[in-house]
Amino acid sequence: MAPFALDGIRVLDFTWIAVGPITTKYLADNGADVIKIESSTHIDVLRAAPPYADGKFGINRSQFFADYNTSKRGVTLNLSHPRARELVMRLVPWADIVVENFTPKVMRGWEMDYEHLRQVKPDIIMLSSCLQGQTGPQAAMPGFGQLMGALSGFYYVSGYPGGDPAPPYGAYTDFITPRLAVAVLVAALDYRRRTGQGQYIDVSQFEASLHFLAPALIDYFATGRVLQAQGNRSERYAPHGAYRCRDEHGSERWISIAIGDEAQWQGLLGVLGNPRCEERFATMLGRLENPDALDDFVGAQVRERGAWELTAALQAVGVAAYPVQSCLDLHQDENLDAFGFWNWLEHQEMGSAPYMGVAHRLDATPGQLRSAAPALGQHTDEVLQEMMGLSAEEIAQLRKDGVLM
Amino acid sequence: MPCELLKGFRMLDLADEKGAMCGKMFADMGAEVIKVEPPGGCMTRRIPPFLGDRSGSDRSLYFLAYQAGKRSVTLNLETADGRRLLSELARKADFLVESFPVGHMESLGLGYQALAGVNPRLIYASITPFGDRGPGRNYKAADINVWAAGGNMYLMGEQGRPPLQISAPQAGLHAGAEAGAAAMIAHYARQGSGQGQHIVIDMQACVVWTLMNAQAFPIMHGASMTRNGVFSGALRLARKMVFRCADGHISMLLTGGTAAPSISALVQWMDEKGFAADWMKKQKWSAWAPGVISDASDYEVEQIHDIEDRVERFFITMTKREIYAGGLKRRILLSPVNTVAEIAADDQLRAREFFVPVAHDIDGPVTFTFPGAFAKLSATALAAPTPAPKLGEHNEQIYGGLLGLAAHELAMLRAVDAI
Repeated sequence: MAPFALDGIRVLDFTWIAVGPITTKYLADNGADVIKIESSTHIDVLRAAPPYADGKFGINRSQFFADYNTSKRGVTLNLSHPRARELVMRLVPWADIVVENFTPKVMRGWEMDYEHLRQVKPDIIMLSSCLQGQTGPQAAMPGFGQLMGALSGFYYVSGYPGGDPAPPYGAYTDFITPRLAVAVLVAALDYRRRTGQGQYIDVSQFEASLHFLAPALIDYFATGRVLQAQGNRSERYAPHGAYRCRDEHGSERWISIAIGDEAQWQGLLGVLGNPRCEERFATMLGRLENPDALDDFVGAQVRERGAWELTAALQAVGVAAYPVQSCLDLHQDENLDAFGFWNWLEHQEMGSAPYMGVAHRLDATPGQLRSAAPALGQHTDEVLQEMMGLSAEEIAQLRKDGVLM
Repeated sequence: MPCELLKGFRMLDLADEKGAMCGKMFADMGAEVIKVEPPGGCMTRRIPPFLGDRSGSDRSLYFLAYQAGKRSVTLNLETADGRRLLSELARKADFLVESFPVGHMESLGLGYQALAGVNPRLIYASITPFGDRGPGRNYKAADINVWAAGGNMYLMGEQGRPPLQISAPQAGLHAGAEAGAAAMIAHYARQGSGQGQHIVIDMQACVVWTLMNAQAFPIMHGASMTRNGVFSGALRLARKMVFRCADGHISMLLTGGTAAPSISALVQWMDEKGFAADWMKKQKWSAWAPGVISDASDYEVEQIHDIEDRVERFFITMTKREIYAGGLKRRILLSPVNTVAEIAADDQLRAREFFVPVAHDIDGPVTFTFPGAFAKLSATALAAPTPAPKLGEHNEQIYGGLLGLAAHELAMLRAVDAI
């Protein structure tokens, strides 16, 4: 078996919900030993969020939680108990990396912030990721990604022209930050290997996400222009949008099409059977300047076509097109399948289910979903015995004292 | 100030808009990123909108934003001389990122195997719209097509109207950032083993990873989420996520459970202004999470409609700024639907000095304001942005300095359209 890229790396993971757990999942799927610390008095709230296996709620049944926490070990510690802190501080020297995404006061309150951790492990790398960063007047703002999607501008620039916002589904920015956090965290790890220097990394989800709107921000500062929601309008492509095809299995089916030059336009017309079209659509400028009429024209031409049949025909003549895939469609998508995206894992309570795989492939040291997400406290005894040398009796006593809940 | 994190490491950036973000992150982390452009310039120079709506190879806002901090050489891969130069550059590089159609680099003799033969330490990342193995591996794609293929488009928009993309295309940014993360992971392995490797990024899969687990609902609950405007696409129970206010919109999820302190504080605020219903004042919010654990009852659905209606009538009396300030003070989980203008004026970003001036020379000296560091590091601060390069700005420096070509050789390469 190929080695993992991060074999031997040890991570103490206090994260919950999405940004933190997805960040540490990259490490875990690449071989790092990630120990997720939870408390049954303060569980990762995704454990209580659907979808659930068989649609039935249970603390160990959420696929939402399961997808973001593969390949990790799970330990329950009641962190408000003083003995729990003592146990954590014994684990810190073992760790290369500590990651957390609470609001800033939480780790400070437990005296487990960077200043405290580096006293016991001077070269520790610690990454904190809260909504708005560790400093500043709104650092303490609690919340989740849905709010950040609005705060950081993505909601405003999503929708039909002049209408209410039609925001991206869910906590959109939660899926921007982890990619940036992983890159900088692993870079810091390599830097430490070369220099012996650990460090603290403060990732504001607000700031990280704004990099995905950078051109609009630079434009505003330079010219005062405020980017507006413009439906599927583009300044580069016309037609550009989603067009309804023939329904399939009683459901709406749409195709996305983007035409960027004359050859592609001729390709589209050919696939549509060279229908008569208005003179103003004859030039790229004419198409760009009459997008609504153009959408009506294309929409009428494709309404009775099958989304996949049309995609194949358009791609065969070099036109960018793809069906608008529903969540169900994704599970039947041949391209995702060929990439090996869906990974079926067996979970002790949830049974077998398809998990989202890694979105990239390292050919020499491929990552792998090594195990399903831990049940709450699944590895508590194992970790305390193996890593701290505690006996079964000591563990039983800690449990009785309410430290391990 | 350069960043120490990746100081001394070099990336060749041959990516278009599917991967520009990767090189940007590497430049921020201190790597020397060399943008390898065809003689006519990278296509990202032609992405609208342009500064002041005047086109020009240095005026694309996309180019300015995502090619910042990089160097530029021109290189014509259609010529044997150009291909030889790329191979020479790869010998001296640590990373290469490209987003050509699958198989294109191989057809030029510049695929991973060929360049690994020259430099086994090379980490070579290929960004593909739909992977390199499926029936769509040669499919063409604009950003919107991958947004559609990855399932996010299906979930955006109103019922009865077309599905949408975000009006600042996102799929390529996710793919570029994923390439950055993957290349760093491979880097860590390489610094131990001495061995580089090939990485393939699946852009469609990158978009699936933005779905907040909606992809699992058909498997677990037997039904798909759908697009639903300002409402969540939740099964059985549409919940309003965006409310109107006096000058725009506010985003908020009205729920209890672990968010009970927030909704209690909201109800208290509404009560002070006479907008709270009696049931809201009596409700035990810690136990109120309709539809989360089991199906919502008819009564709960009625409650949801009533509170959503009252919250909107309450918010319409105030501006975004007033509501956000009140929410922060009372620790209510809400946020304004900000425009870029409001983000530019945000107190928190200002306090953290997030936005930074970057001196440019575009038809004369001009200073722009850029988003600053994507993370704050205590020991190795990320580099402050520097301007995107002019086309071929670093030809002499790279070809002369790094590859040791003489001036007359450069002139000859120019004459044969190799650079």
